[in-house]
Formats: sequence, C-alpha cells, structure tokens
Amino acid sequence: MSTQTGSVRDYFSALFDGITSTARALYITFKYVWSVKPVSIEYPEVREVLPERARMRLFNDVLNCISCTQCAMACPVDCIYIAFEKLPEGAEIKKTSNGQAIRLKLTQFTIDTALCCYCGLCTTVCPTECLTHSHDYEFSQYTIDTMKYDYLAPDVMAWRDRIVKS
Amino acid sequence: MQSRWDIGRPEKPTINSETEQLKTELLTLNMGPQHPATHGVLRIEIKTDSEIVAHAIPHVGYLHRCMEKHSENLDYRGVIPFVDRLDYLAAMSMEWTYVAAVEKMLGTEVPRRAELLRIMCAELQRIASHLVAFGTYIIDLGPQTVFLYAFDMREKILRMFEEVSGARMLYNYIWIGGVWNDWTDEQLKNVEDFCDQMEVEAKKYYELNSSNKIFINRTANVGIMSTKDCFDFGATGPVLRGSGYAWDLRKVKPYSLYEEFDFDVCVGTGEIGQVGDCYNRYIVRMNEVLESIKIIRQVLKKLEPGPIMAKVPKIIKLPKGEVYMRHECPRGELGVHLVSDGGKTPYRLKIKSPCFTHISMLPRVAPGQMIADFVATVGSTDIVLGEVDR
Repeated sequence: MSTQTGSVRDYFSALFDGITSTARALYITFKYVWSVKPVSIEYPEVREVLPERARMRLFNDVLNCISCTQCAMACPVDCIYIAFEKLPEGAEIKKTSNGQAIRLKLTQFTIDTALCCYCGLCTTVCPTECLTHSHDYEFSQYTIDTMKYDYLAPDVMAWRDRIVKS
Repeated sequence: MQSRWDIGRPEKPTINSETEQLKTELLTLNMGPQHPATHGVLRIEIKTDSEIVAHAIPHVGYLHRCMEKHSENLDYRGVIPFVDRLDYLAAMSMEWTYVAAVEKMLGTEVPRRAELLRIMCAELQRIASHLVAFGTYIIDLGPQTVFLYAFDMREKILRMFEEVSGARMLYNYIWIGGVWNDWTDEQLKNVEDFCDQMEVEAKKYYELNSSNKIFINRTANVGIMSTKDCFDFGATGPVLRGSGYAWDLRKVKPYSLYEEFDFDVCVGTGEIGQVGDCYNRYIVRMNEVLESIKIIRQVLKKLEPGPIMAKVPKIIKLPKGEVYMRHECPRGELGVHLVSDGGKTPYRLKIKSPCFTHISMLPRVAPGQMIADFVATVGSTDIVLGEVDR
C-alpha cells in the first residue's frame, strides 16, 4: 500500500521527508562513533563477572551430603540420580559442616547436566546447602553421555577447591 | 468464463491469443524459520498470485512440548520452570499468572512488599518484551541498527533480573507465596537509574524510527485489524488496543495492587495511518514502555521493608475445585485454568495463549496484501511461538 496517488508536489515532499527523517536518524547513529565506548567483551581473554546468584553448573559437595533425596524429588525434570546404602554396623557417624549427622552412605550422586534446566529448585530444598549452583559455565562436550557428572568421582570431587566459595 | 477481451471489442487481437491460453495458478510459498534448531519455529503457507497474497495458512505445532500434559505429573512448585518457557521473552508475567492462580485456590495472603516487587518485575519485563518486539520488528522490515539500540537497553533489564534471581531469561523468581529473593537498596537504585535512561532512550527511538517517513510508509495503512475482527477472534493486548479499543486488564479489572497506581491505557489513535494498522500497534507498544516506567517509579516510592514470603505449606495440596486467572501480559491476556482434585499435582492445567489468537488472525488480514506488507503484519502482531505451541 506504499503507492500513493498524488500530485508531483506530494511525491517530492514525501521524498524530502524520507531523506530528512533518515538523516536525523543517521545523526543519532553517528554520534555513537566517537562518544560511546564499545560494550563488547573480548571473550575468552576478558570475562564478564557474573552476579553472585548466577545459576550455572550444579555442584554437589558430597562430603556434606546426607542422602536425603529432597533435591531429586524437587527436580522437575528428574535429572538427579541418587543411590545410598546403610552404614555398616559400628561405623563412625560423621557430621556435616552445619552439624547434621550423616547416617547413610552415599554410593552414587549423578546429575545429567544435559537434562538440567537450571531452575534452582534443588538448591533451595537442600538442608545442608551442599548442592549449589557454581559459576562454571564452560562445559560443552562432544557427546551427550559425557554431560553426566558423577560427583563421587575423584576428578569431579577435585573441583571443590576451585568452585566452592568460603 | 467470459474473456476480458470480449468487452467492447469486436475482434480479439491476434497477438494476445497465446497469452490467453496460458494457464495461471497460485504459487505456494513457505514462510518463516522452519529449521528445528531455530527457536520460534513458524511456518506460514502462503498462496500468492504474483506478488499478492491470496491466502495464508499458519501451521503451528513445531514447538509443541506437551507442557500442559507434563505439568500434570509435577508438583505445584515444579510447574513454574515450565511456565517460564511458555513466553520466554516475558517469563516473569507468565510465572505470575500461574502463581496467582495457585495462590487464589490456596487462599494465601501475599505480603505487600512481595506484591509490589512482582508488579515492578512484571513492568520491567513488559519493557524488555516490548523492546524485543520493537527491535525485531524493525529488523523484519530492513534496518538493522535499531535492533542493537533496543537490545542494549534490554540487556540492562536482564542484568538486573540476573542479579536478583540468578538467570537471565527463565527466572523461576516468583514463587507461590511471594518472591524468591529480596532486592537490595543498591539494586533498586539501579532500577531508578534505568528508568531515567529509558526515558531518554525512548525519545531517541522516536527520532530513530517512529518518525521515519520510510518506516511510516511501510507500516501505516497496512494489515488493518478492525475492532470487530479483534472481538470475533478474541484478540487482546496491544493488538486490540491498537485497534482503538481501550481494554487493559490492569485498568478494567485490576488484579493485585494495580488499583493504587496511576497510569493511562495506550490506544491506537490513528494520528498517523489508520486505527488498527501496523503502525498503531507498534506505537501502542512504544507508549506502553513509558507507562510502565510511570508504574515502576510509583512502586519504588511505595516500597517499604517487610517480609517477601508468606507462610506456605511445604507440600502444597490444593483443595478440590478449579480457578481461572488472567493477567495482562506484554502480548495480551494470558489465562490459566487450573483444576485440582485435591492431590499434590494439578489435575488439569490449561493455558489460554494470546499469541495463538493473534496468529489465527493472520488468514483474515492476509488476502490482498503484498508479500512485503504481510511480513510487516506478521511482525506487528508480535507472536512468540513458545506460547503458541506450548
């Protein structure tokens, strides 16, 4: 519907309006060439500082986990797999950092990161606050199987020093 | 069929006898991003007669995720991340509608501070959503620069949300009974600064785009949806308001604390173009950004320290019954119909999506348009396919 029937005068006035209004817009754009600093970040040399509450990859500090399975129940996509067994008779009952007794032996704690939707519901129900969202966001993999992290594996447990704050 | 040469001509010109025998037929054209890896997968099958659209059929369902059925297996808190993914550009508003429905059945009294924070989040989200609508609409029509200006401002909102909730787009911030985290004074100061910046930017957008003669020629008098059409199809939000009908749930049937706030309902006036065309829908959105800033400023004045979470049982069980809750979301009225049989999970969760209504209006406005004008019409309805397909 851009074709408008009208006189020659209308045609030229529309042309004039088009050029002046575009020039006004270009004037605003050109101001950005000198007066505004670039906002792009040269990733990966320079990294953005994430906010404190940023929800990135989940990390479970298994030494503090009491195998209550509340996180697995709260998870809307069922991406947390937990297995545990009874402690053997007469075994020493350890305590978590906030003083809760660990009465069960955790045998598996796996999170399928490919399935995780980063909603944060599991971290809020954790009674010992051992399951947290870390600030780790670079963990792309070639195959989807490798996205499953067993937090009892020694190499994954070694992340603790790097990730866990305080 | 009578040939057009028969009218007032004794003889057919011999030179055109071949052309007459040529068959003409409609050309089928598929429009839209259709690759499954892209987000917002929409396919519109258009039948074109040269460059004029004869009719258009939207094919929806590419992004269907079975969200309604799936939520029947989740507890009431677990549904919130899924509701986020309906309209991923306005996740706060989606969350709030669902949560309000649950709270209404549960009979929870939400603390005042939480309710005010929700209003502030929803209005910030409205600005962010309209900025995307604005930026991508212009990119549909050709110019690329404006998109960057819009996304620059949107990024500031997303950053504020990330600081308070932890995620940029899918927040899971509004919880049953209140909100997850409280905003600190510093964060609220950021919101105030943002409001000041946004007002300056809105003037810039007017100079950049809204007053541009080429843009006006592309959008004015194009894709006219009359008020009657809107009523027939059940359109809401900026589409209905662009057609000149002042219907805003925040004003007409105020929910939450919206009664206390002073703001105007933006309506398409037809100053440029015609009421109900693409330009009026666009300008309604741009004006709503300024109205949202007005509301946010009032919220900031009213905020007082207090609790942000009501007492809610650890395992939520709703009484038997059903509830229908509707809120004014950036794209229109979102309706949540929640049926409970007294258990831990919803018996049925039905979402009434505004975008689905708007996409179904396309076959009505498409016939007779040029293809380029049809692109402008699709863009001006501002549909998010996550919400259409659910």
